[in-house]
Amino acid sequence: MNDERGSWYLLTGLLLGIGLGLLYAWVVSPAEFVDTPPFSLREDYKDRYRAAIAAAYVASGDVQRAQARLSLLEDDDPSLALVAQAQRYLANGQDLLDAQAMADLASALGQAPTPLPTRPEETATFTATSLPSDTPSATPLPSATPTETPLPDTMMTTTVSVTLAVTARPTQTLTLTRTPGPTPTPSLTPTLTPSTTPTATLAPPFVLDNRVEVCNPLIGESQIQVFVSNAAGVGIPGVEVIVLWQAGEEHFYTGLKPDIDPGYADFVMQPETTYTLQVSDGGQVIPDLVAPACTDTGDKQYWGSWRLVFSHP
Amino acid sequence: MSRWFRFLIAVAVGIGLGLLYGWVLSPVEYVDTTPETLRADYRADYVLMVAESYQSERDISLAMERLTFLGFSPPLELVEDAMAYAVQKGFAPADLGLLRTLNDALIVATSVGGSNQP
Repeated sequence: MNDERGSWYLLTGLLLGIGLGLLYAWVVSPAEFVDTPPFSLREDYKDRYRAAIAAAYVASGDVQRAQARLSLLEDDDPSLALVAQAQRYLANGQDLLDAQAMADLASALGQAPTPLPTRPEETATFTATSLPSDTPSATPLPSATPTETPLPDTMMTTTVSVTLAVTARPTQTLTLTRTPGPTPTPSLTPTLTPSTTPTATLAPPFVLDNRVEVCNPLIGESQIQVFVSNAAGVGIPGVEVIVLWQAGEEHFYTGLKPDIDPGYADFVMQPETTYTLQVSDGGQVIPDLVAPACTDTGDKQYWGSWRLVFSHP
Repeated sequence: MSRWFRFLIAVAVGIGLGLLYGWVLSPVEYVDTTPETLRADYRADYVLMVAESYQSERDISLAMERLTFLGFSPPLELVEDAMAYAVQKGFAPADLGLLRTLNDALIVATSVGGSNQP
C-alpha cells in the first residue's frame, strides 16, 4: 500500500467489515427462534392455540382466564377471531365441538361487560396466578385455592386476589351433525342440527327488544336480520341463532359481519314460508316470521325483511 | 498511525455497522414461528390448558393429540416438563393437581398402550 492509493482502502475495510458482520449475524451465529410468544405463531398454530383456550374455557368456565390467554395472541378483537375461526371450522367440517367451544367463549366474552348474575353458593374466593407475559399485567388466572401463589421469577406480572362468581357448567354432550342444505338458501353457515344438552349460561336468556318490518329494495333479498346485544347495548358475537321452518332447520352465529355489528347475523327467507327463530340458550322464541310484502315507489311489489333486536333483560 | 491499523479500524467499524444493521436496524422478526419455540411459561400454560380440558373430557387420546401441538416430544415428557416448571414457579395447587391428573393418566395410557383410558 502506498500513499497514491488514497483512502479507498478505508472503504474496502469498511465493506469487508460489514460483510463479516452480516456473515456472523446471519450465518455463523444466526438468530435462533427460542422463547417466542404465542402471538408470533403461524396462523394455523394460532388457530390450534385458540381452540385449546376455548376447550379449557368450556371445561373450567373461567372466562377471565380465557380472556387473559387470548390476549397473548394479540388479536385485534378476540371475540371476532373466535367467531371467525368457529365459522371456518364449520365451513370446513372441522371439529364441531371445537367450533362450539369457540362460539361459547366468544359469547361469554361478549357478555363480559354485563354484570354477571351471581349465586351465593357458587361464589368463591380465588387466588390468582398470573399469566405468562412480557409486560406487566394484572390479568388474573384464578385457581381455586385459598393460598397465595408465589410469583414466578421470569414473569413480570402481579399476583392479585380476586373474587369471582362462577356458574358451574354441566358437561356438554353435544351431538352435531350436518344435514343437507334446505331449499331456502341460508346466507351464513353450513347447516348444523345439534342435539344438545342445554348449558348453563352466565346471563339470562335473550329477549326480543324490537321487531321491525324492513322494506328496503336495496337489500335485494328477503332477510331475517338479527342483532344480539348485552344489557349495555354492545353487540355480542358468537351467539347461536336457530331458525326452523317446515322443511328444515338452520343454525348460525352472530359476528360474521362485524362491519354491520359484532352481534349481527342474517338469514335469507323464502317468500311465503313461515319461520320460527330462537336465539340459543333458551332465548325467546319468535314464531310466524313470513317475508312481508312491500311496495316500492313505482308500485312494484317485492319481499321485505324482518329486523329482530335481542338483548339481555 | 499506519495504514494497516486504519484499515483494521475500518474493518472493525464495518463489523459494527453490520451487526448494528443485523441486530438493531433490521432485527429478526418473530413471525410464523412454531410452537416448539414457545417460551417455557407459555408451554407450561398450554399444557395446563390441556390438563383443564382433560379434567372435564377425560379423553386421554384427545389430550395427547392436543399435546402434539408442542412438538415431537412424548406427551408424558411434555407434561413432566410443565409440572417441573409449575412446581419451580409456584403454580397454584389446583393447577398442579390438574397437571398431576393428566400426568397420571398419561402414565397409565402409555404403560398399557391404550389411548382411551378414562
